[in-house]
Amino acid sequence: MSTVELHDIRKSYGTVEVIKSVSLSIEKGEFISLLGPSGCGKTTLLRMIAGLETVSKGEITIGGRDATRLPPEKRNIAMVFQSYALLPHLSVLGNVLFPLEMRRIGTPASRREKAEAVLEMVGLAHLGTRYPRQLSGGQQQRVALARAVVCDPEVLLLDEPLSNLDAAMRERMQEELIELHRKTGLTTVFVTHDQEEALSMSDRVVLLNGGRIEQMATPSELYARPATSFAASFIGATNLVEGRAHAGVVELDGGARLRLPDGALNGGVSLSLRQEDLILSPPDIATGISGKVINRIYLGARMRYVVATSSGEIRVLADCDTGFDIGDRVCITIAPEKIVVLQGAALTG
Amino acid sequence: MVDAIPRWLRLATAAALVLIVAYLLVPLLVVVGVSFTAADYISFPPQGLSLRWYAKVLSSGDFTDAAMTSLVLAVAITVAASALGAGAAIVLHRRVLPGSAAIGGLFLAPLILPSIILALGLLMLWSRSFGATSLLTVFIGHLVLALPYVIRTTLAVLSTSDPFLAEAARTMGAGPWKTLWRVTLPQCLPGVAAGAFFAFNISFDEAVVSLFLRSPEITTLPIRIYTTLEYSPDPSIAAVSSLMIFLTVLLILLIDRAVGLQKVTE
Repeated sequence: MSTVELHDIRKSYGTVEVIKSVSLSIEKGEFISLLGPSGCGKTTLLRMIAGLETVSKGEITIGGRDATRLPPEKRNIAMVFQSYALLPHLSVLGNVLFPLEMRRIGTPASRREKAEAVLEMVGLAHLGTRYPRQLSGGQQQRVALARAVVCDPEVLLLDEPLSNLDAAMRERMQEELIELHRKTGLTTVFVTHDQEEALSMSDRVVLLNGGRIEQMATPSELYARPATSFAASFIGATNLVEGRAHAGVVELDGGARLRLPDGALNGGVSLSLRQEDLILSPPDIATGISGKVINRIYLGARMRYVVATSSGEIRVLADCDTGFDIGDRVCITIAPEKIVVLQGAALTG
Repeated sequence: MVDAIPRWLRLATAAALVLIVAYLLVPLLVVVGVSFTAADYISFPPQGLSLRWYAKVLSSGDFTDAAMTSLVLAVAITVAASALGAGAAIVLHRRVLPGSAAIGGLFLAPLILPSIILALGLLMLWSRSFGATSLLTVFIGHLVLALPYVIRTTLAVLSTSDPFLAEAARTMGAGPWKTLWRVTLPQCLPGVAAGAFFAFNISFDEAVVSLFLRSPEITTLPIRIYTTLEYSPDPSIAAVSSLMIFLTVLLILLIDRAVGLQKVTE
């Protein structure tokens, strides 16, 4: 059963349409990410689900109830803000009690019990009497989460909650968020511009671009089978090349030939070659793209080579001991099943 | 890196600082000094030490009545200016009204307008439209002067705090009024407290507007000091002034204890 249903949602400011017909159905208990570059409308969409932004056209149902025109306090939702928005004049416990008091859930004693249990769950039971300004970023984040889940909302909305944390803390909070989601089973909508966050945490990723859904898929599907060149270039690091397919082989615009996984393709195609799927070899291999190394960048675990080829610059992520130097001639190959044929382009060709 | 500040500039800054502090503090020291004199006339340094002028002030009905008038007025101004100023600041901050910037500028105009012009204008307007002046006209005059301070300090606090607090409260089930009461007002409190302190002080030592807008039977403390100084100057004026200084210092200490002065001056 779906918990949140968006039907043909649109949002305009004056004549500018920032959300252009988005329909989305979120299942109960699902962890869904709204992913996209800044300005793609992901935060606007989240705020519309929260009721903080009016809907220009379309319908929103939450828990089977029409919520399109309901004010935020009448929707059974909870939201974690990018800035956490902890109430500075209330203690940690006071902050967690706040939604219970506002929604008049239970008796004062049962509220306290519940708030303390949730604080225990996020590991802050000992900090209940502290004030938000006395906490570290990670601790504030946990208070914000505790405060959001304490009411058992129909849907939990997270607006880039990890973006204010340093790298190490962010990684830990990612794991804690996944754990929290497993423990509570709450339907969760997570807004982020970070593709790694979206891929690692979600059951399903909604990739947004220019106020439209570009692709909606599971993380592995989105990574392996991006539907458009935007999806391919936004998820992971890739090279986009064009060519003509015939009898299981594609001839790239520069003349190089690659074997395709699918012999049925014919005509113009657009391909995505992931940097980590490409293999660098000495220049005497038959079916590959030949070129010259023009730059190499040490990345710690990997080395990124920039190779000038007849099909333009191609970037390759290789092991550090690959051992080519700037100026060396190389041949780039790829296993046919790793080649991603972008559907949009193949159909138009 | 910023270049090192040259030595002469540092010395000049230090000298300017000393002069400014001296300019602010020396008059206070003189007044407080004079108030403890044993002599019959105003003299500095004080001749002998005595509390006789404090005794005279506190036993004189003229001064205590005026002080009571000023105190009641100042408390009323503090309450009214805090309530109206906080409300105005919250509305201005949300920018829900068209022309919020212009309205905000209008509210702050009394800060730059010479108070004598304001007093004269109010007097002419009032006598033309409503007739005789009274304590109410003094109240209105003081309120106009005090409001900008409360609005300023409240806006300052609001503009530095998390802009999403009110929205967060809404998502937690608080309606608009509960959000105002339980989130926005507590959020404003340090600013309102600072503004209230200014409002009290402005009303308590205001002389010009009071002189223009009072009716003859109303005498505030500053007016009493002024008339005494003009007609029968003696060290009791210094004693009254010192008491006013002590009251101000006491208020500052109280505010610091209650909300923390750092928060207010941030």
